[in-house]
Amino acid sequence: MRSKRFEVLDDRPVNKDGYVTEWPEVGFIAMEGPNDPKPSLKIAGGKVVEMDGKTRDQFDMIDTFIADYGIRLEGAEAVNAMDSVELARTMVDFNIPRSEVVRLTTSMTPAKITEVVSQMNVLEMMVAVAKMRPRLLPANQAHVTNVRDNPVLLAADAAEAALRGFAEEETTVGIVRYAPFNALSILVGAEIGRPGILTQCAVEEATELNLGMRGFTTYAETVSVYGTEPVFMDGDDTPWSKAFLASCYASRGLKMRFTSGTGSEVQMGYAEGKSMLYLEARCIYITKAAGSQGIQNGSVSCVGVPAAVPSGIRAILAENLIAMSLDLECASSNDQTFTHSDLRRTARSLMQFVPGTDFICSGYSSVPNYDNMFAGSNWDADDYDDWLIIQRDLKLDGGLVPVLEDEVIAVRNKAAKVLQAMFRGMGLTEVTDAEVEAATYAHGSNDMPARNVVEDLKAADNLLKRGLTGVDVVKSLVAGGYSDVAQNVLNMLKQRVVGDYLQTSAILTRDFGVLSAVNVPNDYRGPKTGYQISAERWNQLKTIRQAVSPESI
Amino acid sequence: MDQEQLIRQVMAEVLAKLDAGASSPAPAAGGRVTKEQYPLGEKSPHLIASATGKHLEDFTLDRVTSGALTAEDFRIAPQTLELQAQVAESTGRDSFARNLRRAAELTAVPDDRLLGVYNALRPYRSTKAELYAIADELSTKYGCTINAAFIKEAADVYEKRGRLRAE
Repeated sequence: MRSKRFEVLDDRPVNKDGYVTEWPEVGFIAMEGPNDPKPSLKIAGGKVVEMDGKTRDQFDMIDTFIADYGIRLEGAEAVNAMDSVELARTMVDFNIPRSEVVRLTTSMTPAKITEVVSQMNVLEMMVAVAKMRPRLLPANQAHVTNVRDNPVLLAADAAEAALRGFAEEETTVGIVRYAPFNALSILVGAEIGRPGILTQCAVEEATELNLGMRGFTTYAETVSVYGTEPVFMDGDDTPWSKAFLASCYASRGLKMRFTSGTGSEVQMGYAEGKSMLYLEARCIYITKAAGSQGIQNGSVSCVGVPAAVPSGIRAILAENLIAMSLDLECASSNDQTFTHSDLRRTARSLMQFVPGTDFICSGYSSVPNYDNMFAGSNWDADDYDDWLIIQRDLKLDGGLVPVLEDEVIAVRNKAAKVLQAMFRGMGLTEVTDAEVEAATYAHGSNDMPARNVVEDLKAADNLLKRGLTGVDVVKSLVAGGYSDVAQNVLNMLKQRVVGDYLQTSAILTRDFGVLSAVNVPNDYRGPKTGYQISAERWNQLKTIRQAVSPESI
Repeated sequence: MDQEQLIRQVMAEVLAKLDAGASSPAPAAGGRVTKEQYPLGEKSPHLIASATGKHLEDFTLDRVTSGALTAEDFRIAPQTLELQAQVAESTGRDSFARNLRRAAELTAVPDDRLLGVYNALRPYRSTKAELYAIADELSTKYGCTINAAFIKEAADVYEKRGRLRAE
């Protein structure tokens, strides 16, 4: 006979999730793996001759790359010889400034930093994140996609997301050939919602670079790296090719960051018996060594793997912390869905939401879940009010602001109309008034009239063949009577000439001013230091449309 | 010596070295910049010109619509990337600065060739001789000496690890 209580429990959302016991031999262990190498570092003649238990002749490609480019060698042997518990305390102790900690952490080996962060519980890690985040103020990133790649809806959603406070927006495609349309739609849509939003289009590496070179995107993120050599080869790259790619982006004045995450190696079958966190630490060091200013990490699209094992969500926070401690911009994931449980998905996000990161979500689905083309999201458009009210409850700045229905309708309508004019001006496909109307009020792509996909794809191919660039976008916007939007797109193109936004953790204000770890570094030193929510900002955050005032009762 | 003392001592040493390194380049004399001049677009706009020599005040809507500005004018100059590398160094980000210096060289390489070189660097795409030839091409044709050394180093590592294209 079954316990009725267990029958009820078995039926709960949390029990629809998958869990596995630890199996270190194949890498099914989040952190503190029994087969992880013991930290070690020996330097001779200005070169690393031993790292994490391997001598130089035993190094694989990744070891070589990290040893030669990824570790600050000055004083490194002494740092690595220190007690890991003491080093962990240094990271958590807010009396010791971030800059001093960075001098230590950037001299550690991958195994050492893994051992150091493993001394902390999640609360201590969160305190450390509050201190180690490179940029003073946290921010957030949106995903803007839909299952039909409808450009009118993408523009409207991009505008709404910008109005709601996201500093960056990322799109991707259902059909690959739609990529230029998607990139253009969110580029102009975002600038209508709030000037100064950075946008990207996640597609295959070479295509993504091509879109950036044309000025259809302003940054890139999906430059993936992996922690074991076989998985790196499966990813069709090497540390050298990825480092070269990073320089290609910078050579065109484009901001970029790498991407990695715990669980990718075990998911791809080559974890070499190491813990997920140790392998992720290697990814972060590759990123550092390649000279990328930052990284998107926190398991990202592999979140189901660490989430299934003990201490997996703690490992995700730990990998974010390692990234920041290596002085890298950290876009801390909180993107792909991993659970049926609302309690679990909230608990997972509080790890980054509470201390604040450069981008708490990377990203937050600004569309309903059925339209999310990144395989579903931990947070989506239907959760907007939950996010806002959690900010209000905890007096936290999670990057979003309350908005009014009328404002949202207005920017969505403008974005759809501007896209209509731009498509006409650039000689692309027709956008009808009915589509503009539908996109203005839509919840998702189910509310949109069907488009002629064949014609769209032909026009998208043709647009690339014609060699159109961001300059043509600006011209078509002026011709369509939208000089204000044209000016914003022009200001975004100007960023690549100046290059200020290439620096670590850079975002732009609505006046196109740069906020980065260089001019607004995080200086958290305990209560009443670091980022403080201003009176004006708090007023904005706490004023939600649902609140009843005493006067109205 | 207890751990805390040791940490303090190591920190003091590395910070002293950092200070010494940071104070040596005088911003005005050697033409070097630091985080003090950043954001360069706001604080030091006179230092910035595009790869085609256009200054920031030239980037107006009128000049775009009249055709006076083309897509080429929106290319970053190698000198600007060098300045951004100096800003990065002044904040202790040496690795990032190295990337920006590789990038400064690559501004001279056309888009298609850049994509071609990237693809050639992917695993199993090239022989060692092909990678060496690409390195020489970048060096002689575009003056990319840092990148050339980097590509040759990659070829040597690929050889050791069996990641070259089999002939």
